[in-house]
Amino acid sequence: MRRRRWPVADPNTTPYVGRAMKRIEDPRLIRGEGTYTDDLRLPGMVHAAILRSPHAHARIRKIDTTAAKAIPGVVAVLTGADVNASCGLVPCAAAIPDLKAPKHTVLAGDRVYFVGHAVAVAVASDPYIARDAIEAIDVDYDPLPVVTNAEDAVKIGSPLTHPDLGSNVAYTHNVSGGGNIDEAFRKADRIVKHRLYHQRLTPMPIEPRGVVASYHTGEGTLTLWTATQIPHLIRTLLPGMIGVPENKMRIVAPEVGGGFGAKLNVYPEEALIAHLAMRLHTPVKWIESRRDNAAATIHGRDQVGEYEVAVKNDGTILGLKSKTIADLGSYLQLLTPAVPTLTGLVLTGCYTIPAVKMEIVGVYTNKMATDAYRGAGRPEATYLIERLMDVVAQELKIDRLDLRLKHFPAPGDFPFPTSCGLVYDSGNYAAALTKAKQLANWDQLLKDRAAARAAGKLSGIGVSTYVEICAMGPSKAMPAGGWEWGCVRMEISAKVTVITGVSPHGQGQETTFAQIVADRVGVPIEDVVILHGDTSVAHYGRDTYGSRGTAVGGTAIVMCIDKMIAKAKTLAAHLFETTSDHVVFENGRFTSPGVTNRVITWPELAGEFYVAKNLPPGLEPGLEASSFFEPQNFTFPFGTHICAVDLDRDTGHVKITKYVAVDDCGPQINPLIVEGQVQGGIAHSIGQVLFEQTIYNEDGQLVTGEFMDYAIPRAHDIPDYILGSTVTPSPINPLGVKGVGEAGTIGATPAIANAVMDALEPLGITHMNLPMTPEKVWQAIKTKT
Amino acid sequence: MKLTLSSTVPADPSRVFAALTDPEVLRRTIPGCETLTATGPDAYEATLKIGVAGLKGTYTGKAAITDQRPPERLTLSFEGKGGPGFVRGSAAITLTADGDATRVDCAADVHVGGLIAAIGSRLVDAAARKLADDFFRQIGSALP
Repeated sequence: MRRRRWPVADPNTTPYVGRAMKRIEDPRLIRGEGTYTDDLRLPGMVHAAILRSPHAHARIRKIDTTAAKAIPGVVAVLTGADVNASCGLVPCAAAIPDLKAPKHTVLAGDRVYFVGHAVAVAVASDPYIARDAIEAIDVDYDPLPVVTNAEDAVKIGSPLTHPDLGSNVAYTHNVSGGGNIDEAFRKADRIVKHRLYHQRLTPMPIEPRGVVASYHTGEGTLTLWTATQIPHLIRTLLPGMIGVPENKMRIVAPEVGGGFGAKLNVYPEEALIAHLAMRLHTPVKWIESRRDNAAATIHGRDQVGEYEVAVKNDGTILGLKSKTIADLGSYLQLLTPAVPTLTGLVLTGCYTIPAVKMEIVGVYTNKMATDAYRGAGRPEATYLIERLMDVVAQELKIDRLDLRLKHFPAPGDFPFPTSCGLVYDSGNYAAALTKAKQLANWDQLLKDRAAARAAGKLSGIGVSTYVEICAMGPSKAMPAGGWEWGCVRMEISAKVTVITGVSPHGQGQETTFAQIVADRVGVPIEDVVILHGDTSVAHYGRDTYGSRGTAVGGTAIVMCIDKMIAKAKTLAAHLFETTSDHVVFENGRFTSPGVTNRVITWPELAGEFYVAKNLPPGLEPGLEASSFFEPQNFTFPFGTHICAVDLDRDTGHVKITKYVAVDDCGPQINPLIVEGQVQGGIAHSIGQVLFEQTIYNEDGQLVTGEFMDYAIPRAHDIPDYILGSTVTPSPINPLGVKGVGEAGTIGATPAIANAVMDALEPLGITHMNLPMTPEKVWQAIKTKT
Repeated sequence: MKLTLSSTVPADPSRVFAALTDPEVLRRTIPGCETLTATGPDAYEATLKIGVAGLKGTYTGKAAITDQRPPERLTLSFEGKGGPGFVRGSAAITLTADGDATRVDCAADVHVGGLIAAIGSRLVDAAARKLADDFFRQIGSALP
């Protein structure tokens, strides 16, 4: 293995920002000292298990819970008829015009719509008895016709997922922008057409979901611990479901073992378990099994589309048309219908494409809901535009890098308005491409490929140049506000307590925020504590998704620090017997050159603020500040990924022989964490391109319900990456940061797929659906040789 | 899911056919059969306790024998459910004399749901083969 590029920094030297520091949160996690939802043990706690439908679509004739209730240790066995009226409807926050939405109760009513649909819940003194109890529930199902393919679902005569909606089409969303699309296609020398399928994926976080609820009957207060990315959004949405007011509800996200969007949701179980705690007057725990996680936690992707590019013979792209069918599954979760519309927002990628037209049809099928999964809409858009660029280059016999370079906006073109209606904040796309070529040793790579081909090998190189949407986002563009809140408090002991409204669960903000705060406040990093993920500590927040943590949440903290230092300067001026504008603050020291030689440090000042015997008139005691930051735009990170592969003719196995990623996420607070995010993201893409697919059979049965059948990449499938970066600050926030949570996944999927297709090109193979499994690659090779 | 199985039972087809339609014999020979009650002519209700990985659990269900053409063939249709999910389908069973023995060919169309489907069809396929093999071996030794 290659040695780490980053020398890990000495924690005792400043500045902290920009240095590769090990994560502060890691030791407790590595030692098994983290507290996850399943680690909670409350006095009197009982355990819930959920009975799920084995049918993809059926009428429930009858549910008999008698035998289950008779099992010793069973506390309650309840069905939809018992609880739905008390649990409200599972919310969808996406505002899509003319959206047809089914009523989504926490347990099924008289019908089930997908395999895994929650039908009944058993509560017992231990989790094993609860599991036995759900097996003893007798449900009489009358199976109904099933539709599992979104393209079939829009055809006349298809079985209906929700017969009461009258159609499987949830919505049709049109995006048009830029110039006249018809004129663009009329002027074209050639129309390049391609069909692409973005398969359904199962997020598979290491920790499945889990909920513990405790209701204080006397106070009327509810505390809910849940493995979520969004404690605050749950606190906003759950009160309306279960009738506990927001100010009597505390939501805690303990350590969360991976989210990737799958935990960016309000799930039926969160309302159900809360309701059970209230109903049974005792704490209730529910922990999802791996199989339930595969069946009843959101899936990602599942879009299929037909695309047309209008081009001149010199490669100039005049317009892009697309028609995408997005499989929503049977219900709308929090953002289900919005995810495909995000695809429409970055359809043009990092290119100047004068006219676009996109139609997105969201379709119901008898499957689990799709929703935001690592990249949410941007990986789909990037895969399609980057495949299309290669297909266009190949058809026109133009170099694929030249084609890309020809359509990049120049650095001076930013802020760059796109035909899809966004304004890209900043960028230097050619610089990232150039750097990636250098790191990949591009010319040598081409020679190696030529030599390998001459020797009869199937060798390919893939490139993707991407741009994506991060730092979500301006409130006007977000369903429930896109601002972020923070609070910085210096304690009487001069220790610094920071509270953030984002809810990190692997992104490392306990470290990166501490780096920012320690530098700006001028204190040792070990004196800084970052609190998050508990709504009774961080009262407001919009949580963690869409790479918003540092760009939006970090900025709120910077604003707090500025306010706190301004207040501290007022007291320092008072102590110096001068005015604030004569006070200089640097590295944690207050001085007033020309006025006095005295130096005031934080411990002295913090003591004065809380003892409060010598404050100037009008200055409040205490030293803390809070802020809301409202971003004026998204940020648009970008980069270039290059992948080289060799295909084994005999087995179809794809071996990644080189992987280079150059990502520009703006200035890096902690390059070690950036690298970790990129590495994880590329691993997700290797899974998507080479292994993973969520499959429902024609009966609507989930046949990829566990790791035996759902193949995620293993350590030996992950190559040694060569990672680099360019730095183009964003003008949208004072840190200049853009975000990097999804970059790897967005850039890597097309790079790897393009590499495999490049390797197959000499055989005349021009198309293969994802995932490019050994079997599929081998079959393709076999038909051509 | 389509399953095709064959087995050889050491008896002539008419005796094998009689055994396959005799509830007493079936109760003794179906692997894990706890109860088998005739609910009508050639219709049964049964409880099966299956201990094969992936299918493990107690199942209750119904079975019916139709299209009987003794001693050549019959069709068995079945539906059952249990903790791990449900099974329903039908099996066309053909009996062919093979010397002193009978070759039994079984072509089944099986739909499984819930956990049984989620754990992967190859496990179900192997488990079903094992159960069928056990069954025909039992039939062979249970023949009067």
